[in-house]
Amino acid sequence: MTADAVAPGAAATGSGAGALELIDALVPGGTYRTSRRETVRDVSGRPVAELTLAPALYVGRTTDRLRRRPAVAAGWSPAELTGRFRAAATAFTTDRLGGLTPAEHHRRVARTTGVPVSVVRAAAATVAAATANAVGAAEQARPRGALPADWRHGDVADGGAVLWRRRGRLLCVNASGNHPAVHSLWLEALALGYRVAVRPSRRDPFTAHRLILALRSAGFADEDVLLLPCDHRVADELIRGGDLAMVFGGDDVVDRYTKGWSGTPVLPQGPGRVKLLVTGEWERHLDVIADSVGGLGGVSCLNATAVLVAHDARGFAEALAERLAALRPLPPEHEDAELPCLPLAEARRIDGFLRQRAAGARPMGNTGIVHDLEDGSAALRPAVHLLEDPAAEQLALEMPFPCVWVAPWSPERGTAPLRRSLVVGVATQDDALVDGLLAEPSIRNVYGLDRPTWWLPPGIPHDGYLAEFLMRSTALARR
Amino acid sequence: MKTADALAVLDAPLDADVDPDELVQAAMEWHFSPRTGTPFWLDRLDRLDFDPRTDVRTTADLRLFPQTIDDLRHTPVEDLLPKGYDGAADVIGVFESGGTTGSPKRVVYLADWMEREMAQAMRAMDERGYPRGVNWLSMGPSGPHDYAELTGQHARRRGGVRFAVDFDPRWVRRCLREGRDEEAERYLDHVLAQTADVLASQRIGAVQAPPPLLGRLARDERLVQLVRDQVQVITWCGTSMDRDTRDLLTDEVFPGIPMYGLYGSTVALGAAFERKGTDDGDSAFDSPSANVTYEVVDPDGGEPVAVGETGQVVMHHLSKSALLPNNRERDVARRVAAPADRPGHSVADVRPAEAFTGVPVIVGAY
Repeated sequence: MTADAVAPGAAATGSGAGALELIDALVPGGTYRTSRRETVRDVSGRPVAELTLAPALYVGRTTDRLRRRPAVAAGWSPAELTGRFRAAATAFTTDRLGGLTPAEHHRRVARTTGVPVSVVRAAAATVAAATANAVGAAEQARPRGALPADWRHGDVADGGAVLWRRRGRLLCVNASGNHPAVHSLWLEALALGYRVAVRPSRRDPFTAHRLILALRSAGFADEDVLLLPCDHRVADELIRGGDLAMVFGGDDVVDRYTKGWSGTPVLPQGPGRVKLLVTGEWERHLDVIADSVGGLGGVSCLNATAVLVAHDARGFAEALAERLAALRPLPPEHEDAELPCLPLAEARRIDGFLRQRAAGARPMGNTGIVHDLEDGSAALRPAVHLLEDPAAEQLALEMPFPCVWVAPWSPERGTAPLRRSLVVGVATQDDALVDGLLAEPSIRNVYGLDRPTWWLPPGIPHDGYLAEFLMRSTALARR
Repeated sequence: MKTADALAVLDAPLDADVDPDELVQAAMEWHFSPRTGTPFWLDRLDRLDFDPRTDVRTTADLRLFPQTIDDLRHTPVEDLLPKGYDGAADVIGVFESGGTTGSPKRVVYLADWMEREMAQAMRAMDERGYPRGVNWLSMGPSGPHDYAELTGQHARRRGGVRFAVDFDPRWVRRCLREGRDEEAERYLDHVLAQTADVLASQRIGAVQAPPPLLGRLARDERLVQLVRDQVQVITWCGTSMDRDTRDLLTDEVFPGIPMYGLYGSTVALGAAFERKGTDDGDSAFDSPSANVTYEVVDPDGGEPVAVGETGQVVMHHLSKSALLPNNRERDVARRVAAPADRPGHSVADVRPAEAFTGVPVIVGAY
């Protein structure tokens, strides 16, 4: 490789552009640095780092090479694999990686993504837990009929056996930067013996960078887990170069990659469009509902986008708006920050977009979401809108801050307004209604309102087990 | 000064150093005089708010010309032949621009210009150590494009045979514009399969290809080996190549094989070979001759930028065969210091203007 022989973390001096830190690609053979780079800025526009942008030829040649052989980790015993994942989780949580302590890393991610630092820290804990539990989580998805990964030929009886096999060798991930915990979702692939190449978001290349450095420090091979930053055109080459791919993003991005042109099977990770339903009195659920909307800074695909209530929708919307109004606008690195921040101009664009799309809805509480922090950035304050019709299209409008659409619901509406949801949170005594939600294929998870919609401990599938996409069962019968 | 003397510079010996301003004055006289002029320009004389024969004396005055090059999209090619050839112009071919935006622009190559352009190209190749007596493989476009003719001339004049693979860039662009990426991929596979056939069965010492095809070739280990085993020089042309990709090709894919870019434009009727050595790591190109010169200008005001600054590329062609001045290309480049006595500006880090504009901001959850 042409990779400059730079030890991870030693890349602290820039070339001509001052002393900006350089984020190199993490590739087979170490690191790779290009002359074409993108400046990563914080929410107030201040340059934070320079990110290598790999050219298409590099991405293509690298993926060609990675597909040729199975992952080194695919040959490890479950015990060794588990040990290395645990070591990686510890390193991710405690070590200085890429020159940054965990606290410095959290602060930096908060500054560039605008996600509150406490949320970043919690997301890092989620990523660490997913890392520590990757082997177990992957194992949970193994069909009961299939032999474990460490099967031997002697295990195959006369009646044959079922093996659980990978559909390919290389998973390419096009990540998003809305919430750092998106990187908790591809670790199972590594546990299942896949090589993984991650294209990080340009807002948060740091979480993937840190996680991959942690995995490498725990002994994962350079060619098993890669960071391949590139621009959006070259991302096509990355998707095309994978045996399988996972694509995070909005409808535009996900739609682009799920049309099949790349020839690569793609698992889309699009907007969650999470919805809540309260069939009885809503008062005692108000805390959990507000938490579902505003927790995690409101930036996750697991945050609630819509709430349907059977009684007094207007009173509920007012109460929810009042509750969310208590969230204080602060810079993202502030310990008490709870709301996301963006560059001021971008915040204003989102405000304008929301006003336009909210036509016909009644805004509750203060209008205008932009709180100018007077350093070039703005915090986004919560928005609650009341709709008259639970079939209104706004119910599916997911925004990158606490933004929720409230609509009345009545039993004759049934489950139809709740379709196309990553999570439906429901407070009801009606088991038949819950059965109806579970029977609806476009609803991926159903929770009670005893927990927020972003509840996601290790081992609970986020959108099905990743292994459902990565693995298939194969029969082996021989004497 | 007598007209004949003034015009002599248009027929200067192929290896002569001509005075750029003298060439400007001769070209104005030739293309705008009623006797020898070019119908295309004589038709436009009324619409110019200056008299080219008196007001355009220096290369800087070429900036007076409006952007008339777009008219080449619908001009009958006979109107491009100067009357001074007395109906005996030896037309080698009619060539068209890429056709990225709208219908293509058409230009004619006359035999006397081809001699001049090829003399420049042979000198440039000699300076860069291009081999003689080897066969060439040209992976670029034929049909209406100048590429096949020029690479054929290159090969023949260096004592080799040119093998060609046909590549239609307009079809690829159309596929991509319509979101049919898979069709473009399939077409590139089709082109590459033909390349494989030539490389495997013939003795090839020089390869000429547009960067996308070269990149494609670089992904095929068998073809890479066939190139490494026998090719002595690689020339890329047609579109720009970023330096990271260039470094990959020269350091990793084809180590030890010299590789040069060729930067020009169909409507400049000429191209420059990449300098030996880079400018701060970027591929650099000097204006090829007094006949074909480049300038880097401020896209708004049109004034030349200083050395070290980035701007829009403007190309001028001045010869007996054609006058195509002040053509704003869709490229941006950094102006770099030109070698002493070299006409025009030198350019580095050439890339499409689209790549120069800002990154769009995406609104939404992600």
